[in-house]
Amino acid sequence: MKFKIIIFIAISFGVFACSKDFLERPQAGTIPESEALQTEADLQKLLNGVYFNLTSDYNVPVRGEVRSIYGGRLQYISDLLGDQANGTFFSGDDGEFFGRRTSIFGGYKNEAYSGVYYAINSTNKIIERLDLANTNKDAIEGGARLVRAIAHFELVRLFAQPWGATADNSHLGISLRLESSKVSKNRSTVKQVYDSIIADLQTAEIKLPDAPSVGFPSKWAAKAFLAKVYFQQNNFTQAFNYADQVIKSGKFALDPDYTRRFSLPLTPLLASKEGIWVIKNVNNNLSPGGEFRNRYRSDVNFSPSGKFHVTDLFYNLATQNGDARAIWYTKDPTGLNRFNKYNKDFFDMPIVHYTEILLIRAEAGAETGIAANVSQAIIDINSILTRAYAGNSQNLGPTTPAGIVISTVRTQRELELVGEGNRVQEIKRIGVRNGTNIDRRGAPWNCNGLILQFPNDEQAANTAFVMNPEGGCN
Amino acid sequence: MNLKRLLVALVLLLIAFCMPALAQDRLVAGKVTDAKTGLELASVTILVKGSKSIAQTEQDGTFKIKASANSVLVFTSIGYAKQEVAVGAGDVNIKLVQTDAALNEVVVVGYGTQRKKDVTGAISKVSSEKINSIAAPSFEAALQGKAPGVQVIQGSGLAGSGSVVRIRGVASISAGGDPLYVIDGFPITVDNFTRNNNGAMNQNPLAALNPNDIESVEVLKDAAATGIYGSRGSNGVILITTKKGKNGKIQVNYSNKVGFQNYANKPDFLNNMEWLQLNQEAWENDGNTGKAPLPNSLTYAQAEANNTDWWGLLTRTGIINEHNLSLTFGNKWIKNYVGATYSNNESYLKNNAFVRYGLTHSAEITAIKKLKINLKNSFYIGDNRRVPAAWAGGLGDAMSNATPMIPVYNIDGSFFTGGANPVRRLNETKWRNTDYRYIAGLNFDYEIIKNLNIRMSGNYESYRGVDDQWESAQWVGYSFPNGKAMRSKYGGENWVANFTVNYNLNINSKHRFNFLAGIEAQERVDKDFGYIARDNVANPFWKETDLYNKLYDSTKAATEAAGNLFVVERGAETFRSVFGRVNYVFNNAYAFQISARVDGSSRFGSNNKYGFFPTASFGWTLSEENFIKDLKWINFLKFRVSYGITGNSNITSSLYAPTYVPGALYSGVASQFQRNVGDPSLRWENTTNGDLALEFSLFKSRVTGEVAYFDKVSRDILLDAGLSPSTGFTRQMRNIDNSKVTNRGIEFNVNVKLIDKEDLKLSIGGNAMSISNRLVSLGELSADAAGGGTNDTRVAVGYPIGTNYLVRFHGVDPNDGLPIWLDKNGKTTKTFSLNNRVPVGSVNPDAIGGVNHNLVYKNFEFSSLWTYTIGGNIYDASGKRQAGIVTDWNMRRDILDRWQKPGDVAKYPRLTRVPSTYDGLSSEWQYNSTLFLYDASFVRLRELTVAYRITGSLAKKLGIRNARIFATGMNLLTFSKYPGGDPEIARDFENPTDRNLSPNITYLTPPQPKSFIFGVNVNF
Repeated sequence: MKFKIIIFIAISFGVFACSKDFLERPQAGTIPESEALQTEADLQKLLNGVYFNLTSDYNVPVRGEVRSIYGGRLQYISDLLGDQANGTFFSGDDGEFFGRRTSIFGGYKNEAYSGVYYAINSTNKIIERLDLANTNKDAIEGGARLVRAIAHFELVRLFAQPWGATADNSHLGISLRLESSKVSKNRSTVKQVYDSIIADLQTAEIKLPDAPSVGFPSKWAAKAFLAKVYFQQNNFTQAFNYADQVIKSGKFALDPDYTRRFSLPLTPLLASKEGIWVIKNVNNNLSPGGEFRNRYRSDVNFSPSGKFHVTDLFYNLATQNGDARAIWYTKDPTGLNRFNKYNKDFFDMPIVHYTEILLIRAEAGAETGIAANVSQAIIDINSILTRAYAGNSQNLGPTTPAGIVISTVRTQRELELVGEGNRVQEIKRIGVRNGTNIDRRGAPWNCNGLILQFPNDEQAANTAFVMNPEGGCN
Repeated sequence: MNLKRLLVALVLLLIAFCMPALAQDRLVAGKVTDAKTGLELASVTILVKGSKSIAQTEQDGTFKIKASANSVLVFTSIGYAKQEVAVGAGDVNIKLVQTDAALNEVVVVGYGTQRKKDVTGAISKVSSEKINSIAAPSFEAALQGKAPGVQVIQGSGLAGSGSVVRIRGVASISAGGDPLYVIDGFPITVDNFTRNNNGAMNQNPLAALNPNDIESVEVLKDAAATGIYGSRGSNGVILITTKKGKNGKIQVNYSNKVGFQNYANKPDFLNNMEWLQLNQEAWENDGNTGKAPLPNSLTYAQAEANNTDWWGLLTRTGIINEHNLSLTFGNKWIKNYVGATYSNNESYLKNNAFVRYGLTHSAEITAIKKLKINLKNSFYIGDNRRVPAAWAGGLGDAMSNATPMIPVYNIDGSFFTGGANPVRRLNETKWRNTDYRYIAGLNFDYEIIKNLNIRMSGNYESYRGVDDQWESAQWVGYSFPNGKAMRSKYGGENWVANFTVNYNLNINSKHRFNFLAGIEAQERVDKDFGYIARDNVANPFWKETDLYNKLYDSTKAATEAAGNLFVVERGAETFRSVFGRVNYVFNNAYAFQISARVDGSSRFGSNNKYGFFPTASFGWTLSEENFIKDLKWINFLKFRVSYGITGNSNITSSLYAPTYVPGALYSGVASQFQRNVGDPSLRWENTTNGDLALEFSLFKSRVTGEVAYFDKVSRDILLDAGLSPSTGFTRQMRNIDNSKVTNRGIEFNVNVKLIDKEDLKLSIGGNAMSISNRLVSLGELSADAAGGGTNDTRVAVGYPIGTNYLVRFHGVDPNDGLPIWLDKNGKTTKTFSLNNRVPVGSVNPDAIGGVNHNLVYKNFEFSSLWTYTIGGNIYDASGKRQAGIVTDWNMRRDILDRWQKPGDVAKYPRLTRVPSTYDGLSSEWQYNSTLFLYDASFVRLRELTVAYRITGSLAKKLGIRNARIFATGMNLLTFSKYPGGDPEIARDFENPTDRNLSPNITYLTPPQPKSFIFGVNVNF
């Protein structure tokens, strides 16, 4: 009897422990891919994750870096590479950016790099599984392609010599990732990367909806980025064309002052109309632009070794002639020129905005040399100037020569887009355009250090990966 | 696998051994006890002289044997003198006299106990007294220097920080290298990363356990010992046995420790004027003129006026106060143990303390004669009053960017905010970690027939952790009047059930068998109860529980309304096993053991779920052989050999498949993210583990000890890296094909009783392990594929796990003061390049160990323990800025030995504020060179104790049974060549890879504590 009981207990215990499914124990809250990607809604969820992270380093527990593309990190790195920042106190990773000597290490940069690729990987997953989509297929595909394009665009501008650095753009770009894969991939040429970016944007332009809605991109975002990409290529005809379309859509407008573009509106009436694609702050949910607050904001916890602040040279340039944008700067008691543009608790962050598109139309228009375009350029730049100098004191006359229009737009572009990571790309673009070095720190536009070094892990995982040459700027 | 069939077969096999005993004349009963201690002796062999009739004593020392009225019984037990007694009329009660105490020790092994002399594996036992001798922050830290082959690097001076424990080296790169901790047969949850690396400290999951509940700790080291734990045995096993109830009247033990704690070491930094001078020198060296700019927007007037002693402002003498109360009481039916503890262990850092509360009850119930039920309930609370450290601030600031020039306050009395101000942070932020842990066990031990026991045991563990932080509005920088309260909450459950059958078989005292077979199932879950933060709250959530609960409920409801789980599982796994062990001792001289375990784990994909882990071992007690028996100076001599395969799969769950996680709402719509790429071929890491040893007891047992050689070879090494970051992922756990890691070494321990008189005893003991750890092959990956934390340690083929991979510093050029480096080929160069990094050192010591003495004169005791580390390197990652590039950091005094003018022969190069002054150097972070690599050897006076025992009449007068009054010092003296502070370093780790690779890497790590304790231990 005893034995029967024991054998019974042992066997029932054994049956329990040996039940077929006992060793299949998925974690609640972690979803296997087969369940995570089943419907159109699933694709949309994945895309929403991508949108969420465009401006926020929101920390989800993934085995990679989730770093925003437009949350301030890449912009800060760009602004330190440029020539407006006062770098006397920068050390560590910041010192490498400012010194234009990034290395294979450097967490801030390497996280940013893999963070952008994390977004690219998600867009690839979406594009590969478009078969799941039906009613919203176009919007999903358009959104995924738009992000895939702009992610590659931001990386290729930072990690490779600019478009035009070689005649056929056969110089090395970045790893062009058009499918999700865990296999290493060598760098493509700059031409291949830009071709892919433009192809994606042109698809997005067709697929995305016409009406902008909160948080989600419209075809106008794709067009605005096409303007930006063509402009970076010094392809003025196309840049003008796309900027013109965006402006003529009538869906966006220049703000009357400088208080609105990145701000939460005090009232709906005071909302900025500049955002062509805006990620809005949602309390206790989504706070766009954390790195703008961390690395630029100067009224709280300012430290010259950790925050962007500008040189005396640039300060003087940016605060002359009664410039209304002088509110963006404060000379502090120790003589440092603090930067105030992002002195806010929270932001509504435009991914791309009207001022920039207007500046592109102006400069590209003037560059085309076509009389009508030049005239439009003068009108465009004058609207910027009127806002900047609170009147028409600095406006250009209707017959201003194209060359002067161009140089005026370039100056205004620098002043308007300060703190948006713009200047270093201008040093390169104008370097290619004119063969001149406009860098105030005297470096050649194509010196090694003006582009970033790839993370060491690319080479550690793939010895064939070609790293950038280092050094040689200042 | 058909477990059912196997199980039935096993049970039937066992039944086959259950032969009924042969009938004899008359039943003689009795009891065997130890002559000195009075303890009941089990497993004493009783032989009827001149016959084949034989018996053994039970656990309670009783025996029964059939014998004729005039026969003689022979009592033998190893370590005791043989006794012969004639059978009389009544019971036979015998007191055996010990010849060698150590040999009669019973040691705890996996799923049972064995007599030490029969053990064929490598097991070190550490007693309760040794564990509680010092005010160590946690019991595992107290093991340091007390068990051969066990390296314990105590955590930093932060209250509640954990130790790195390595048993016979580290064999993994990315799978956890820590041993398996088993409390009373229950593998408990030990995860150092439940709070990641928050505040630059890894959580110590063992800190909340009450060391006073521990009866003994057995460290299992080789395959023979750990093999029964199969896939979890590679890193060794630490078996913790807790105190049990006793029969008889109530006995009370109360102990109290009161003491002081301070830092053992402090790095020496420059004062404000010296700092300013060096900053100016660097500025001028860089070709500038005029006054050098000052960091933190300070003026020279301010900088010269301030000489803030940040270290002093952040530290104090911490008070240690510990009370333990335990009771034992019982009767024939139930034996109880109750243990309670309260301790408040303040570290030397202001606002930092670890408060422990614990209550344990265990009972052994003899329900019916052959059924024993053990029931145990323990509840522990660890309340850690946290402060940030190292890179996260606090004392780390005092060692880095809180320079003496920075004032604490502005002139108006408000806090200075222009630079690092750790005092402000101390005042403006609050932080608490509270851990609750409940451990319960219930087991039934039933003797079906004589010597055949079945045991069913169920164990359950539940833990909850809360991380509460609060930051003032002023600190956060918001414009609200009140601050920000934040709480993360997590927890988990762990249950294990097993069923074992144990059969002892003695065949005419020559053949002793023990058969063990068992099955086991385990499920473990770690949960995340979410993060709740609220702005504009006046108090931390621990004072705003209603608010927290409200927010928790609403956040949970909102998340669930969006279709997402709020409480998610961070880890979940199941585990099931079948195992067996056969021990056979022939003639008391030859001991054989084989064991095998099949483990199945949910961590792996369908093709790799199961692993098979067999071992075999043999022990030969040479002293039982005639050729040794004649040698009077040898009391005991045993040769031991074992070989087997164990495994390691100490990785997080759900890594083999591609997975997704839900994210927050985006524009009111759900989002999700890909979490993991997945690798379907993920499998166990295997270690073949060989051990050869000699145990000895010589010269009337005055010299005892053990020498062992071990050789561990690990394959299919798990690596959590090596993905191209352009895949979008930086980590994927995988086994590296053709990878191999070896750990070979010699272990030695000896204890010598120099004086052994009634009133005066003096013994000296010591242990040592010399180890060589080597990565033999890493498949196709390069050295940079696996790095620990901050770019400083690597794995490189031909070198140990945790190799310092650095550019070699050759010296300073006396002409221009610039550094000279060695390139990869050993040629000098003045250009720094990360391409010239080579393996130059190792974080692994060549040898570790301890030396102790114990002097007893009458009731006085005086003892010490010295621990030492020989060889290995310390890499001081903070040296890059403390004694490297001049930045906004504090500078260490040794940088004064720097080049100043042509012709100077100096240790450090010319000072500069611009890293690129040293050609090729991109930033101070990349200044990874041997300039900051140091010899890690040290000797430390770990413990020094003076004690007095109150016994006899004095005790009677005081109304107590006995007492012990003592004073103990910990870490009183340290001898080391390392200039950066404390040479015993377990920094904060980012992940298990970092933990394996980067002990001995310091980065602003708070030094070890030094403490003095006065204590009393009274038995009523």
